[in-house]
Formats: sequence, C-alpha cells, structure tokens
Amino acid sequence: MSDGKPVILPADENSFRLEAYLSRGGYEAARKTLLEKKPQEVMDEVKKANLRGRGGAGLPAGSKWAFVPQTGDQPKYLCVNADEGEPGTFKDRAIMTRDPHLLLEGIILASYAVGIHTAFIYIRGEYEAIARRLEDAIGEAREKGFFGRNIFGSGFDLDVLVHRGAGSYICGEETALLESLEGRRGWPRLRPPFPASVGLFRAPTVINNVETIANVPLIFRFGAAAFVAAGLPRDGGTRLFGVSGAVRRPGVYELPVGTPLRKIIEDWAGGPAEGQAIKAVVPGGLSAPFLRPEELDVPMDYESLARAKSMLGSAGIIVIGDRTPMSEVLKIVARFYAHESCGQCTPCRIGTTWIRKIAERIGAGEGAPGDLDLIRHLAEGMKGKTLCPMGDAAAFPVLSIVDKFGKELRETISR
Amino acid sequence: MVNIQIDGRPLQVPPGSTVLKAAEQTGIVIPRFCYHPAFEPEGSCRMCLVEIEGLPKLDLACSTVVREGMKVWTSTPKVLEARKNVLEFFLADHPLDCPICDKAGECFLQIYYDQHGRYASRFLEAKEKKKKKIPIGKKLLLDRERCVLCTRCVRFLRRVTGTGELGVFERAVKAEIGIDEGTEIGNNYSGNLVDICPVGAITDGDFRFKSRAWFLEKGRTVCPRCSRGCNIVIQSVCGFPLPGSQRKIYRIVPAENQEVNGYWICDFGRYGYQDIEENRGKAIAVNKGGLPEGKTANWDNVLRELAAEIKAMSEAGRARRIGVVLTSLLTNEELGICRQLFVNVLGVGEVFFADPKPGESDSYLLTADRAPNARGAAALGFTPKLPDLERLPGSLDLLLVFGPHLLDHFPAADLATAFQEISRTYLLAAHRSALDSLAGTVLPTAVPAEKRGSFTNVGGIVQSFERAVRAPKGCRPEGEILTSLASELGVELG
Repeated sequence: MSDGKPVILPADENSFRLEAYLSRGGYEAARKTLLEKKPQEVMDEVKKANLRGRGGAGLPAGSKWAFVPQTGDQPKYLCVNADEGEPGTFKDRAIMTRDPHLLLEGIILASYAVGIHTAFIYIRGEYEAIARRLEDAIGEAREKGFFGRNIFGSGFDLDVLVHRGAGSYICGEETALLESLEGRRGWPRLRPPFPASVGLFRAPTVINNVETIANVPLIFRFGAAAFVAAGLPRDGGTRLFGVSGAVRRPGVYELPVGTPLRKIIEDWAGGPAEGQAIKAVVPGGLSAPFLRPEELDVPMDYESLARAKSMLGSAGIIVIGDRTPMSEVLKIVARFYAHESCGQCTPCRIGTTWIRKIAERIGAGEGAPGDLDLIRHLAEGMKGKTLCPMGDAAAFPVLSIVDKFGKELRETISR
Repeated sequence: MVNIQIDGRPLQVPPGSTVLKAAEQTGIVIPRFCYHPAFEPEGSCRMCLVEIEGLPKLDLACSTVVREGMKVWTSTPKVLEARKNVLEFFLADHPLDCPICDKAGECFLQIYYDQHGRYASRFLEAKEKKKKKIPIGKKLLLDRERCVLCTRCVRFLRRVTGTGELGVFERAVKAEIGIDEGTEIGNNYSGNLVDICPVGAITDGDFRFKSRAWFLEKGRTVCPRCSRGCNIVIQSVCGFPLPGSQRKIYRIVPAENQEVNGYWICDFGRYGYQDIEENRGKAIAVNKGGLPEGKTANWDNVLRELAAEIKAMSEAGRARRIGVVLTSLLTNEELGICRQLFVNVLGVGEVFFADPKPGESDSYLLTADRAPNARGAAALGFTPKLPDLERLPGSLDLLLVFGPHLLDHFPAADLATAFQEISRTYLLAAHRSALDSLAGTVLPTAVPAEKRGSFTNVGGIVQSFERAVRAPKGCRPEGEILTSLASELGVELG
C-alpha cells in the first residue's frame, strides 16, 4: 500500500509522461496484481471497492465485468468509452491529458480480471491531440513491455488500440459505439443481447468509461477499503466534477463522491459569475434533469440525485445564471438533441426535432398558449419508449425545464 | 411449451417465441412497421410496445421473448397512448398526399391511424421537405417524405438478395433512405421492396397512378414463369371502374408459402402479368379445313368437327396418324386428361412436348426451367421430346398443338413446311404467335391464372390453385376443351 489517498488527477506539469507516472508508483499495482493475484481476486477486490461506473448509468464496475461469460474460448474485448460527448462533461479529457498511464494501467487490470487480450479506446473525434497523447503513452508503455506479450513476465498478453470517432454524440451510447468501432453507422443496437454477451464483433465485451477504468489502479494501489473511504460506502472513490457555465472558476474538480452540489459550486468553482445569481443547475451532464437554486444541497452521488429526481450522470455541472432566459436554455437543449438524434427510432428522430421547432418558435417570440403542454406531451412520448437511452436523455432536461421554469416560459410566450 | 397470458387469455407457445408471434397465435395483431417476419426484430419503429406485468416500462412485442408465467397486455391505456404517440410522430412530417398515393387503402400508417389516431394535428411547424421522386433502379421510385424509416428495404437488400444497394444516410430528422450515386437496384427481386414498404415510400413505376388498392380483386395462384411455382396473388379489376366488363391485371404480388417462396417472388415472375394481358388470342380462327362449308366458327362447331375427325380416324384404325404436341405449361389435370384421352383410349401415334426454352437461373427462386409443370408431366409418365419436323408430315394426318412453343425450337419457315403437309392442324394457344397463320384452326385458350388445377414444382411439391382471374371472353381453359372433346368422343375420364 502506498501512502496518501486515492487521487486520479496529479498536480505536476509533466504528469502525463511515463517517468512521472512511474515515480508516482505507476504500473506497480498492475505488476503486483498480475504476478500475485488470480483474475477472480481482482474482480472481487473491485467489487469490494464499490466502484460505480462513471459514464452515467452508475452500474457497479465489478458486477458489469462479472456479466461476461467465462466459458468458451471466444475472444473478449474491452472498450474504453472516451467519447465524452455529453454537454457539460470534460473530465475524461483531463484524465487522458494529464494521466494517460493511469488509464492504461487500469486497462491492464480490467483486462486481466475479465480475461481480455485486446482493448480499444474509442475516443471522440474532436479529441485529436488527446488521441495522439494516448498513442504516445501506449508507445512508451509498450516499449517497457507493459503491453504486448507476457506482460510483467506474468504470461498475460494484452494489446490496446486507439480508435477515433467521427463526431457523433450517439456513439457515446455503448452499442452505437460498438457499431462505429466495427466500421458501421453509429446506430444503437437493440438489447438484449447485451454487450457483455454479444458485443464487439459479436464477442463478449466490457464497455467502461475512462474515469471508471482510471479508478481501478487506485483500488489496487491503496486498497479497496481506502478507496471506499475516499467516497461513500456504497459508491467509493472520488469523482471528477466538471463545472461550467455562469461560475467564477469553471474547471474540473476532483472531490469525494457525495460532496454537496452547492459546496462544489460555491467553494470550488467560486460561486456564480460576477453580478449574477444562480437560476438553474444541471448536475450531471445535459441529460440530467435541471435543478432549481433551492435544490442545490443535494450530495453528488447516484442515490441522492435520484432521490432529488435528477441524475449524477457524468457529473458535468452546468450553472445557468439569472441573465439567461430559460427559453434560450430550452432552445439550446432542444437543438442539441435534435441535431444528435441518430434517426433510427421514431420517437427520438421526430420528437427531438418537433420540440426544437417549438422551442425556436418560443424563442422567436411566436410561442402559442399550448406549447408547453405539447412539449411535455412530446417528451413523455419519447421517455422510456425509445430504442436507446437517448430518448430519456432528450426528454429529461426538457421536462424539467418546462416543469420547473414554466412560469418564466409562460411569461415569455404571452409577451 | 411456455405458459403465458395475453390480454388475460392463457396461452401455450413454443419456447423462444416473441410476444408478437405469440399474440398472433390468439388472433391479436400487434401493429408494427419495422418488424417483418422474414427478418430479425429491428425494434426501431416503436409501434409494437406492449405492457408486460412487473416491468416498469413498455416493452417491444417484436423482440421480447416469452418467459414462463409472463402476462402481457396489448391494449391498456398506456399502450394505446404510446401507439398514438408514435403515429403522431410519423404524421408530423408525413406529406398526407394519400389522395395521390398508390399505397392508400393498404398503407399501414393509414390503417393504424384509423384504428388508433383520429385526433387533430398539433403540429404547427413547417414539415421537413424531402425529395419525392427518386429513381432507385428498375421501375422503383423512392419518396422520402412518405418514408417512415422502418428500413425494411435496406434489410431486404442486405439479408435476402445480399446486394445492399440501399442504406440510411444523414441522421436525426434528416435521416433518409438513399442509394450510392451512380448505382441502382438491379437485382431480380426489386419488386418485393414495394410490397414490404409499409407506406407509399417505394412505389412501382408500372403500378404508379394506375389503380386504387380498394378496386383490386385478389386471386391467389401459382406463378407459371418457372418451375419454382411461387405462390402469387394476381390483382385485377373486372368492370368498375373500367368501362363495360373490361378486365385489367394491375399487378402480381407474392403470397407467403414457406415451403416454396417464403415471402418473395422474383421480378421475372412479378412482371409476368404481361403474359396474362398482352398478345392474347381472342377468337377462333379457321384458316383451312376444319369446318364444313357454311358452319360458323364457334366453339361447339369446331370441337364437334375435331371430335368427328378424331373419331373417324380412330374407327378407321388410323389413330396412330394423330399427333399431339403438349406443353409443361398445362396443369396436372389437363395433362391427366391428355394421357387418358390420347394415350390410353385413342392410342395416338406420337405425344411430343414443346416448352419454352430454358433461361438463366438466378440461383435463388428463379429456375432455368421456364415452364411450371415439367415435374408434373414426368410424374404422369410423359417423356418430353420435340417432334422431328422432317418425319412429321409423312407420319401424321392430324396434329394438335398446345401452345406456341414449337417456335422456341424451330424456325417458323420449317414449321410452315411441316404444317402445310399435314391435312388437319389445330393450335390451342393463349397467345398469338407466328403459328397462328400456319395452323388450320386456332383455338384461344386460357393462361394458368385463368384456370384451376395444380402444378408440380421443381421440388416435387404439388400445388393446387383456383382461378385467379376471369379468362377473356372467347377463351377457354384447355381442361374444358379436352373435357368437351372427351365427351363428344364418349370417352370416360374417370
């Protein structure tokens, strides 16, 4: 066990280099684990650490891995989801920019636990420089023998490949990601079967967010107990909270899971921007329902936010100041989903654009009295009824804006 | 078997069944656009959502596999509301050009909307403008405004023909079916795209604007254009709205038969309706001999005369100088009468066969054989052989020819020479041909679609069919002609 606390983001300038990572004790956890532990023990340790997925759904990582059938000799794959397309989310780029080797070490551990010999990092197309940094880091690690054949003399083989997306939000949805990775149009797949049994190239596949995988080495460096202690008992470790919008100090803040939202905004992000008050907050990426200023004392963990009828999601916090009209927010939200709907299933394909058109009309001062009811009806027609979670993602913020800021919107319409 | 309940009715279904299929078993048809039984569930139209007890959200009937004890509800308020929503989404951008759409009357958007919709439009925005008349190959036209993006066409071309001409381009509301520039659908199964399109997005240039679906009479039969024997439905109009008692065939579509053609037919068979429509013989023609002076050339007189000639030859012990040219386009029943009459009873000299020349097989449904019943003829003991034109005149005094297909094998001039030297020649054919002027008497017959009977297909499956369309006035099915002849001759057909 090393000293200190499990922290993802290092402070120093050149932290992304291999020597810097090695000097922080990097790859030691992987070396020891591969030489001393059985895969099942690795999985058990991760389960004990209560590491929950950082991509949005919050599934415990250990049980996600356990879904992969260990029978048969077919190949299995790991796909690291580095698509990071959720508006308000920019935490994974921080990890990949500042600590790419932490991610790579996590890939080794996760792959070893599940018996995977090929891992992919699917990175969003716009992260070109970051993709290069990853490639460089992989090159460094491969040179040291951390990837390739017989890693650390353990007999375990693993290679990792970086694949750049082409700029589509939906490819962050795990099955669309698989389609895209296979070279096809990024359309989500019908489930079941789930990727754990039929995934990439029809083989069992684990798909984890960058931050989830980057947490894995910390569990082994500091122990599951220390990892749990860094967060909440049922939701271990830290979270990278990306704060943007009308705050004084926007940025990524690594804080314990469960830190109250108001504390993050006020103490870390410096509070609302000069001369503004907070009007609304998105707590977990744009797909999470909006919160009103009086709802900000919620602890930032999956369960607390679910109780507050929102979502921790990707922990991307967007703060809306009181100078921004909610009709403008509604329009921007609606435009985003109408632009990014993949077009496969009916409610999302048509519902997102219909809502966009209404929102634009309201924004142009041509709102009609029934518009808010109609938006609610259309969003309800998408919620829970689409092929992939994007229907919900598009419906939740819209519903919450209409429900929580209806008074302001009605005033805009009647003006 | 798995025990489930659908709408409160207990049901036993085979394991692995989907809810949609299980429901069909009890006669409950769950509406769908993207689902087609020939393909894996797609799950994209979201029309078939149903309520399954114990699950928080509605689930797809097309892809959800039954589990023991599952309780499914297919028309709760929640389900009906979801269906209405999907229909409302479809209608938002749909052009509503039903009055000029070929699919009107058999369009699933119309049908389901009628069942579930009936509400006023709340869509105040401008509809998406898309291209409405895109040639995508052969006779097909694509209308992107009508398209509901069910992708049945895309999947058909990927999974059935394997040609993959169509794909989805763009995304969100701009997503559209498209074809790579400079390519086109050229395969022999293109017409199926029109049938599987649940709306009027893919239409057939041949059928376009020709009729309304509700005028069409539908008759199921077997395609006679090759030996596969695909099951087809002939859609025609007799009388209204056509003037008088005019008859017109508008199109041929597949009828499902999993043992023969699945859900599909080839374009060669589909556009075979021209065989029924075009170039048909309409009236009896007597060119030389065949009728005593002063007798009108009608069916009764001609058949009586033919019977008299046969009888005279038979009684004079000259039955061996009667020759018959049959064809594998005849039904088993017709060939059976021929066997009994010409071979067993009369003992004619020669029974030949003249079939259409074999064509190319497409290694899927279309076989090389261009006649439907060669297996049936063989099963009845016939050995198909062509006549020897050199020997024919010397050995025969009476020749009965079924069909014009001697022309597929011999030059007309050679046939003319041979026919000239035979004193009595009868041609029984549905279509006009160069043989008409060579034969002494020409009798217009019916095509298979105008008959009942059976064919034995390439796989040995005997397929019975009923008359699908009325024969044109003046034409008679060969079976009827042969039966009349037998009764004139006093032959029991048994």
